[in-house]
Amino acid sequence: MFSTVLTLAGKDWRLFWSDRRAALLCFLIPIILASAFGMIFDRPDPASDMPKLQLLVAVENETPAYRLLIDDLEQSDRVDIELIPIQDIEERLRERRGGVAVILPEQFDSKVGRPRLAIRYHPLAQLEAQWAEGVMTELIMKRIARESFGPVVGAWINEKPLEVTSEIVAGPRAQFNSYSHSFCGMTLQYLFFWGMESGLMLLRERRQSAWQRLRSAPVSLMAILLGKVLSTATIALLQVMVVFFFGYLVFGITIDGSLWAFIGIALAISLLSASTGLLVAALGGSEARARSISILAILTVSMLGGLWLPSFLLPEWLQKLSHAFPTSWAMKALDGATWQGRSFLESVPHLLVVLSFASVFMIVAFRFFYRSERIQRRGRHD
Amino acid sequence: MSCPAVLRLREIRVLYENRTVLDGLDLDVHRGEIVCLAGRNGCGKSTTLRVAAGILDPSSGTAEIEGILRSQNPDHYARQLGFVPQESALYEDLTAVQNLEFFGKLYGIRGYVLDSRISKTLARANLSNRAHDRVRDFSGGMKRRLNISLAMLHEPVVLLLDEPTAGLDAESRFQLYDSLQILRNEGHAILLTTHHLEELDDCCDRIAHLENGQVSFMGDSLSFQRSQRTGRPVLFGQLQSPIPKFLERRIRKRLDDEVELEVIGRRVRISAWNTEEIGRSLALLLSEGVIFESFRSTINQMQPVLEAA
Repeated sequence: MFSTVLTLAGKDWRLFWSDRRAALLCFLIPIILASAFGMIFDRPDPASDMPKLQLLVAVENETPAYRLLIDDLEQSDRVDIELIPIQDIEERLRERRGGVAVILPEQFDSKVGRPRLAIRYHPLAQLEAQWAEGVMTELIMKRIARESFGPVVGAWINEKPLEVTSEIVAGPRAQFNSYSHSFCGMTLQYLFFWGMESGLMLLRERRQSAWQRLRSAPVSLMAILLGKVLSTATIALLQVMVVFFFGYLVFGITIDGSLWAFIGIALAISLLSASTGLLVAALGGSEARARSISILAILTVSMLGGLWLPSFLLPEWLQKLSHAFPTSWAMKALDGATWQGRSFLESVPHLLVVLSFASVFMIVAFRFFYRSERIQRRGRHD
Repeated sequence: MSCPAVLRLREIRVLYENRTVLDGLDLDVHRGEIVCLAGRNGCGKSTTLRVAAGILDPSSGTAEIEGILRSQNPDHYARQLGFVPQESALYEDLTAVQNLEFFGKLYGIRGYVLDSRISKTLARANLSNRAHDRVRDFSGGMKRRLNISLAMLHEPVVLLLDEPTAGLDAESRFQLYDSLQILRNEGHAILLTTHHLEELDDCCDRIAHLENGQVSFMGDSLSFQRSQRTGRPVLFGQLQSPIPKFLERRIRKRLDDEVELEVIGRRVRISAWNTEEIGRSLALLLSEGVIFESFRSTINQMQPVLEAA
């Protein structure tokens, strides 16, 4: 049966390369997506490249106390302020010409009592609003300290009260490479799309007369399905190799962890791609239906699995939910083997989970195919 | 036939949903023989072929080739037959050679033997000079020739062809009949379905007419023609172009209720109680602007028909 499986897989390879431009795009698209994502999130020097908060400031009644605070804001290296009339705030925020605005009310004075200020923000700028609150609190506290304890203490408090040293602990280079993360994520996402495409090709093939000829030949359904798994997985493996080789050459992506762990996870995700494709073909029904459902499923599990952005940005319940998706485990394994520098043994649990998902998908798909074959051989359509 | 049958279908029953398509069908095909399955649309011709090809499992009954039961040894059974589906059963994005290599290897043919069989098959299909061209660039006739030749690559004992003449022009059909006769003379057993019964006089050795899921008539083409003639006279016509639907509806309205008109693409079949009625129907079609390329009839002399027309 092995030679039959190889023959069937060889046919799929030939079909894959028969349209060379389409085949080339299968390698180019993940490279383009990964490069774009890498560039967007690339921060070569986090300290020098710290973004500044764009802050709109409106004053109800200009007093010396306000003036001092505005001076502090203008001197701060963490915000860029723009003074605007109070009546313009709503319009500016609504039109998204500014995300957050601070209103210094008429009664604002630290000597009178607890100073008050109001923050207005656009619904999409919740994080900026919290950031603005933090910056304003810090500046007001410093101003109060200077006024309460005199210039000596004030000068001391102007400095940071403690010295902080930061160090990245994942990976021997101790340096996060945004390209590593995006190449892992986009490669993985595209492997799922390739798996889907392969499944759709199988659905198409089953409706063609060539399938009838194939089924009248001395070839078992098991050989046909294994041939499909072999061709899809090997093409997926080639995609992983090409994409990461490009990443190494152009963006300096390296395997900081165990090379064997990387090879293991590359094989596992290739198998996962193939088994997902079979599942699509088995459960999808018609080609159009299968395509729509799988695009939705792939985009959802890609987003929740942290393939686009790190999953810690998601709400906690979604982070927990993401453990139910193979993408989450595959991404952890790939991140671990590349920039996080994990050893082979540390990667084994993730590897096993990915292989388990691939096995379950394959078993379910095989069962459905055998059921469908039984029905069709009796002259009915499932 | 004195020699034993190579393809034997026994007591084949096939049920679709609650409908009985084949109801205890028995059929034998011998070496060096072409058997044609005939009958109305939906009578089970293709189903019989699919059971014989091993694509369809009958509810009961057995299919065997040279004593090999499909139910007991499906792989060995499959190696003894070549199946040609109605539509082009080729991978259009592969070249002719790649298609032949792929299917040849599935039948366990490799190396020098495969190369020589591929050359022979391409020569048989008259496609040696297009061996490395993609199938999608072939004309319909070229695809059809390759489709049929491919089924012969592993030199099967039994060849099954589903509507091999569908979509072929008259010249290509006669070329195909010539090829089938060569294969018959080489000792292959051939079972096919076709709508062009009128052209099979010289090609088919026996005709199996299916009715109610069983073989209602089995005999040579002459006997079949005679059996047809004892009933209503029939006129078969080849049109220059298909009849538009609106025109077909108009013609049907004007035809006598007793006249049966069957239109399949460019083919027309008219059957009536007598030759005069056939003639009047023919005249009606001609008056509506239907142009015939050719026609023939089960009536010995066409003169009465033409007179009536």
